[in-house]
Amino acid sequence: MLRIDPKSGKQKWYRTDGAKSVFSALISILIGMLVGAVLIVIVGLTKAEISCGGIWDGIRLVFLGILSTGRNGSELSFGFNPVNLGNMLFRATPLIMTGMSVAVAFKTGLFNIGAPGQYLMGTAGTLSVGLALGNAGCPVMLAWLAAFLTGMILGALWGAIPGIFKAYLNINEVITCIMTNWISANLVTWWFDSHGVFKNSMEGGKIGYIIPLKNVGVVTPKMGMDVLFPGSQANGGFWIACLLAVAMYIMMTRTTFGYELRACGSNRHAAKYAGINDKKNIILSMMIAGALSAAGASLYYLAGNTEFFWSTYLSLPAEGFNGIPVALLASNNPIAVIFSGLFMSMLSICGTQLKSLTAYNEYVADIMIAIIVYLSAFSMFIKQMLNGAEKKKGGKK
Amino acid sequence: MTSEYVIEMNHIRKEFPGIVANDDITLQLKKGEIHALLGENGAGKSTLMSVLFGLYQPEAGTIKKDGKEVKINNPNDATALGIGMVHQHFKLVDVFTVMDNIILGAETTRMGFLQKKEAKKKVQELSDRYGLKVDVDAKIENITVGMQQRVEILKMLYRDNDILIFDEPTAVLTPQEIDELMEIMKGFAKEGKSILFITHKLNEIMAVADRVTVLHKGKYIGTVNTKDVTKQDLSTMMVGRPVQLEVKKEEAKPGDVVLSVENFTVPSKLHKNDAVKNISFNVRKGEIVCIAGIDGNGQTELIYGLSGLEKATRGKVVLCGKDISACSIKQKSEAGMSHIPEDRHKHGLVLDYTLEQNMVLQKYNEPQFQKGGFIRFDEVRKYAETLIDKYDVRSGQGPITVTRSMSGGNQQKAIIAREIDRDKPLIIAVQPTRGLDVGAIEYIHSQLVAERDKGKAVLLVSLELDEVMSLSDRILVMYEGEIVGELDPKKTDVNELGLYMSGAKRQERGAE
Repeated sequence: MLRIDPKSGKQKWYRTDGAKSVFSALISILIGMLVGAVLIVIVGLTKAEISCGGIWDGIRLVFLGILSTGRNGSELSFGFNPVNLGNMLFRATPLIMTGMSVAVAFKTGLFNIGAPGQYLMGTAGTLSVGLALGNAGCPVMLAWLAAFLTGMILGALWGAIPGIFKAYLNINEVITCIMTNWISANLVTWWFDSHGVFKNSMEGGKIGYIIPLKNVGVVTPKMGMDVLFPGSQANGGFWIACLLAVAMYIMMTRTTFGYELRACGSNRHAAKYAGINDKKNIILSMMIAGALSAAGASLYYLAGNTEFFWSTYLSLPAEGFNGIPVALLASNNPIAVIFSGLFMSMLSICGTQLKSLTAYNEYVADIMIAIIVYLSAFSMFIKQMLNGAEKKKGGKK
Repeated sequence: MTSEYVIEMNHIRKEFPGIVANDDITLQLKKGEIHALLGENGAGKSTLMSVLFGLYQPEAGTIKKDGKEVKINNPNDATALGIGMVHQHFKLVDVFTVMDNIILGAETTRMGFLQKKEAKKKVQELSDRYGLKVDVDAKIENITVGMQQRVEILKMLYRDNDILIFDEPTAVLTPQEIDELMEIMKGFAKEGKSILFITHKLNEIMAVADRVTVLHKGKYIGTVNTKDVTKQDLSTMMVGRPVQLEVKKEEAKPGDVVLSVENFTVPSKLHKNDAVKNISFNVRKGEIVCIAGIDGNGQTELIYGLSGLEKATRGKVVLCGKDISACSIKQKSEAGMSHIPEDRHKHGLVLDYTLEQNMVLQKYNEPQFQKGGFIRFDEVRKYAETLIDKYDVRSGQGPITVTRSMSGGNQQKAIIAREIDRDKPLIIAVQPTRGLDVGAIEYIHSQLVAERDKGKAVLLVSLELDEVMSLSDRILVMYEGEIVGELDPKKTDVNELGLYMSGAKRQERGAE
């Protein structure tokens, strides 16, 4: 809750702490994209089949891939591309949710590395309830709500486990989160393996997928997204994520509950001294984090046409882990998470554009994401450098 | 020809972001003198010593050793120049023996093997020569704080240092140990060693120092001969205004019992024994009862037990007629307990919260400050502004200052404002003036006396003997978890108190 004091009105907006957070995030992003461009050049120079023109195409796609409209003859063309933009919003939705999950836990001083597990529990809950109620002929809105809420509740319960261990036994939540991640991966596999009704054996060629929810009609309404971005996968889930982000922001900064959570997060001892129930708050915070992460999964699969590969015991969903960089890049501010989530999904769209339009593959985008993540961990350091530069400037006067 | 001074620090300037910690400071140390460095918190004493010790590089100024300019880039350079330091918080390895700690980093070796015999001989010699009694084979964790300090001193001597820096060395000692230390310091000076003595205790300066350099807010105020000045002069130099050194208070008029504690026992987190052993006492309206004792004799655990931060295993606590033995922290606090905690950073404040948010740390949930779960920011602001005004809490940006950026004295004032303003019948104050300067101490003492006069019961825990003697109406001495004596400050003196505190004397307590 940063408010500018009228008395100290001398402080310029760009010197506030919040502005510096934004600048440092932007600097991380810029450096990451520049390194991406350098990579494109290096790869281009070492590969015979990529010409100078190809390198130039690659660089342009790294920065502007989201606006790419394909090729016009041999030239790349750019402009408003509703499919790309819509898909960006669609893919950002789960990232925003898991990013928020990590951010809210961070504010309470907890590192929620358990987002992938909570995400899987949300997936299983939403798909099972959605398919079961859809098949039973339940009204669509009711089935949608039940599926969404079941996912969230399962995620909350799953998040509560590390919370309970942390609160009562002081076991580091990172360890229990990693353990619960793999437990959930196996649990979900077992669940779908033993419940054949959910398995999709109809659609040709593909094995091991769960029936998509569109087959039973339990799908998130488009809420205008089909008008704005025709042809894309975007749906109302993005609006729901934004709404939840605003709700989280208000909860953290405006309510007594948020006050308690943040007090526990920044100084558990002082919170205890003040009579705040620190154990309760740690568990609640992890439950909220779990619910948010699971809601990300629910929104993703309630899009309808997304398919879930149920035999997941060997891998964890990347959306869960990507919540960490999304939160870091946003300095754990729920509103900023919307933008960092959008940015991350934009990069992956750029990656797919790169793959389909040039001889490069999409992994350049992954490397850029990795660099940005790496730098975002240094955002504190970059912030300090900004402070230092300011001081030097002041000294010369 | 060598210079008159062994160490000269000329026109030292050291800046940190947003603040000048040392602004043109000059300190000249003569050979064989005890030179005190006096200043409030944040006056720049520690920064200056860190510069001398090579931990910081100054922006301007020079350091001379025996008249020759030297550059001290790190603590190793300082050691090579014969500069040694006893830090306020000892830097010892708890599970090592005294001997191992002394030689650590300066081990005598032959072909890579430790030569402990030679080292031991040297340590023994030093110990005998200066009267620094230590048990060389004991582990640090098993010896007293006083002995630990002697180990730190031996460390400096073992490295043949002849410029010795003592950073607030008396904070952890009993009066008897302080006297001993003063004698040891005088002995060093006689031998030609030079001593820099950092402190804010005026009595000690008057007792041992030859000269005093005073700093105030990072600026050099002056260097004076101790014999030419009075305590009052020094405190005026240090604070920048005349200060009331003695606490002014009327006779106490104790009323009804507010807090009564019976057979109270709290387990220790450090060892298997109980930290507080079956103690009973009470505190009445309108009196200040002080728990005196050397640090680590169960005072902390007693207060943790009373406030609910730790669970007591046995005993009955009655506050304002209500049995609160089994209550939660919140219930205890609501039953009538204000608590000024020992560690203001750990318990007292959420440092990343703003001042106004800290002001409502226990009150945020009251109807005045919330409506339907939403905080009423305007009310919080108004309340914080009232408190800031009333208790003169100073900060950069008023209520929206992040408390981490405030000075220690003002952080403490903020806590005191919050706790006193909660207007509870019992105020527990644990070392409320620890690490604060004379000006802030004066203020806090007067506040506590004012609360007492309003009819509050005050339970004070203090390690500072001056504070115990001047502020309390009744003294309970704790030693190894027990109350070994109940004294009347008017009928006792510091020496008797010291004997109780060190366990040399104890009363058999009858029925109260």
